[in-house]
Amino acid sequence: MEDNTAQFKVIANGPLQVSGNFELFDSEGEIITRQGPVFLCRCGMSADKPFCDGSHKKSGFRG
Amino acid sequence: MEDPRNRQYTNGEITVFWKPSKCIHATTCFRELIEVFNPGRRPWVNMDGASTRKIIEVVKKCPTQALEWKYNKDMDEQSLAANVTYKDEVTPETLTSQNKSPEQDLHKTARVKVMKNGPIVVDGHFEVSGADGNKFRSVVMTSFCRCGGSKSMPFCDGTHRKIGFIDTNE
Ligand code: FES
Ligand code: FES
Repeated sequence: MEDNTAQFKVIANGPLQVSGNFELFDSEGEIITRQGPVFLCRCGMSADKPFCDGSHKKSGFRG
Repeated sequence: MEDPRNRQYTNGEITVFWKPSKCIHATTCFRELIEVFNPGRRPWVNMDGASTRKIIEVVKKCPTQALEWKYNKDMDEQSLAANVTYKDEVTPETLTSQNKSPEQDLHKTARVKVMKNGPIVVDGHFEVSGADGNKFRSVVMTSFCRCGGSKSMPFCDGTHRKIGFIDTNE
């Protein structure tokens, strides 16, 4: 059987890449997607939260 | 017999008891008060992270009584003496999969929750790799910083509350 364990990859100075078997929920518990990969904003600056919109580059996010 | 993994933590006023065998990773404690309950840290409970009142409030929300508390003045000498620093720290993250709900094991999926003005909370079946490509030790729950301000990146350390992180898309 194919191992499709959910993978969380921290991208240097950028977002969190999520793939594999996962379910993404918003704060109300509504499902957003099951389909990866998705890139979640880690820098706090995206205008499209929870997703990354590239703002981390402009803001020079380190982390 | 007492489970040797049981732990207790004190701030001098109250003691918080944690029973791993009852922990189902409801994640309530660290979603509400990661300054105190941080599964990524050793020891995972930091009794100096919040006021006694706040700690009691969150302990009471634990759905399974994995967390309980008592006033130190109501405890006998023997149980007070058990307030020690443990070398072999157990945390909700390192519990074996036997504690995971059968449902999580069956589906082998990870549940990823975007918290309101807070971190990304993950539990279930998953792997984390860092910016250097190295895998983190395997975990069953964790929370990733989303505000950009954590001092223990990539994990949330409660900073989002201090800096007043607002997710305007909420
Ligand atoms: S990480 Fe890319 S916009 Fe925040
Ligand atoms: S989201 Fe909690 S410290 Fe950033």
